[in-house]
Amino acid sequence: MSEGDLVRLDETTWEIPASARTDMRVPARFFADEEILDEIRGDRSLEQLQNVATLPGVVGAAIAMPDIHQGYGFPVGGVAAMELPDGVVSPGGVGYDINCGVRLLALPLNEYELGTTREQLVHAISREIPAGAGKHGALHLRGRSLDDVLREGPRALPGARADDVACTESEGCLEGADPEAVSERARLRGSDQLGTMGSGNHFVELQVVEEVLDPVTGGVYGLVPGQLTVLIHSGSRGLGHQVCTDYVRLMDARSDGYRIHLPDRQLACAPASSPEGRQYLAAMAAAANFAWANRHAIADGVRRAIASVLGAGAAEGTVQIYDVAHNVAKVEVHGGVSVCVHRKGATRAFPAGSDEIPARYRGMGQPVFIPGSMGTASFVLAGEPGAMERSFGTTCHGAGRRMSRTAARKRIGGNELRRQLEARGIVVRCPSPKGLAEEAPFAYKDVDRVVRVVERAGLARRVARLVPIGVVKG
Amino acid sequence: MYRFVEHTAELEVELESESPEGVLEEARRAFAELVGTGEGEMLERVFELETRDLAALLAAWLEELVFLADTERLVVESADLEIAGTHVSGVVRGRRGEPRPLVKAVTLHRLRFCEEDGVWRGRVVLDV
Repeated sequence: MSEGDLVRLDETTWEIPASARTDMRVPARFFADEEILDEIRGDRSLEQLQNVATLPGVVGAAIAMPDIHQGYGFPVGGVAAMELPDGVVSPGGVGYDINCGVRLLALPLNEYELGTTREQLVHAISREIPAGAGKHGALHLRGRSLDDVLREGPRALPGARADDVACTESEGCLEGADPEAVSERARLRGSDQLGTMGSGNHFVELQVVEEVLDPVTGGVYGLVPGQLTVLIHSGSRGLGHQVCTDYVRLMDARSDGYRIHLPDRQLACAPASSPEGRQYLAAMAAAANFAWANRHAIADGVRRAIASVLGAGAAEGTVQIYDVAHNVAKVEVHGGVSVCVHRKGATRAFPAGSDEIPARYRGMGQPVFIPGSMGTASFVLAGEPGAMERSFGTTCHGAGRRMSRTAARKRIGGNELRRQLEARGIVVRCPSPKGLAEEAPFAYKDVDRVVRVVERAGLARRVARLVPIGVVKG
Repeated sequence: MYRFVEHTAELEVELESESPEGVLEEARRAFAELVGTGEGEMLERVFELETRDLAALLAAWLEELVFLADTERLVVESADLEIAGTHVSGVVRGRRGEPRPLVKAVTLHRLRFCEEDGVWRGRVVLDV
């Protein structure tokens, strides 16, 4: 892409016209300010966004959020809507961690009431929620029990609270999930992993509501200044990773048959109406349901930790604000037309009035959670009408990386980072100093800047700013 | 030889050896650096993989290592393997441990496995 190909449409919207490359079917459009634009230019993310614009059936534009960064196939922060029935579905456009997402819990306590038990609580959470399989905390599912979770999501788990399920995107269950479409290898990988966090950028964070920027919406969401919250970031674990692996491989093998020519092999795809497309969507829905069940099981672990440290009443009074997916493909109606919206590191952000939002939040817009990085802030946003008009009902999903893991490790050691975070009053539990260093706050963009861009673009508005006081990482 | 190269979000690995089997061994070593070590009794697993082309064989091999770490907590320490066309088979040996669940999957993005000027080279991007 040459500099001349980039057009500024308004204060926060930039476009690479479809004419920039002979294989692009639609423009590539993204939201950024000047500083973020400079960071985006530092990697291959815009080239990857242009690659998405070549996919058969893509409508409108290939879109990216201000947290865009280089991924594989799709850029992270990418959104693409495909016409139905014959536009393509691309497993790589959802990603390996199907329905990776975030869930926010609110405790019936404030920081003052937590008092000196903060470290104890963070320790208890780390004990209850393992990073990987084979440890205390993980649920073991086989046969029909696993099938039930794949079909129904958290509703299939014993003791699932109805209010938690109601406050989950799609109520934690995508239609059309078919356990038969999930391979034996995927089932094996997932059977011992429910209730586990994973590694990399996954975490459970204890936070305080630092500021409520929109008190009316904050009140409806149940957030007040000083309140304690817990933010959970995890996904479908090995089961989802294997589902994506299986279908990328299948579609890679079959793409010649559909005469699909791709600029990147990882974009392997098939028409949504084809046998491969239908089978993938059924398996993806099953993996998405597994992911919601996983975050549900992790939330159960958090409540067990709260009960052990703060008492049963505090655990019982801990409520789920909402749970959102940021790696998923969903059939939605936009502009009166049904399309399959791929979100790869991007969050659905429907505005007030949508039937897809729980009744209690319908007047305010869908809650969206934007994790920052360890040591910085996270945000609660609400979906705005501009998202429907400009981004297929989507906003960003995080701060977005700007530095490689290797570069982050070269800049700081894990033990030094732990010392710095603890000096700022953040309790850290992470078994791997190397892993901790890779997730250093400076490896990410400025989350305040990213959310200001989506607010100025009219995609979502800021409701509350949360700051960490404890971090558990895998 | 293996080395990790700059990638904003994921891990990109470049591999080099005198033989195609050597490239797979370098890939194993790179993966072991990421997941840590096992301990205790040495275990063996027989494997056989067939793919549509040679590059996909490199991805499939690493996927096998991810699968063993995920399902059996097995960290592979050595492998006797033989490549014939787009087919690889052999035996892996390793010990159980608590492999760090960092690598989610092996992508086809920028995937490469070929001979150049008498040297076998591979490149693979891992989703982490």
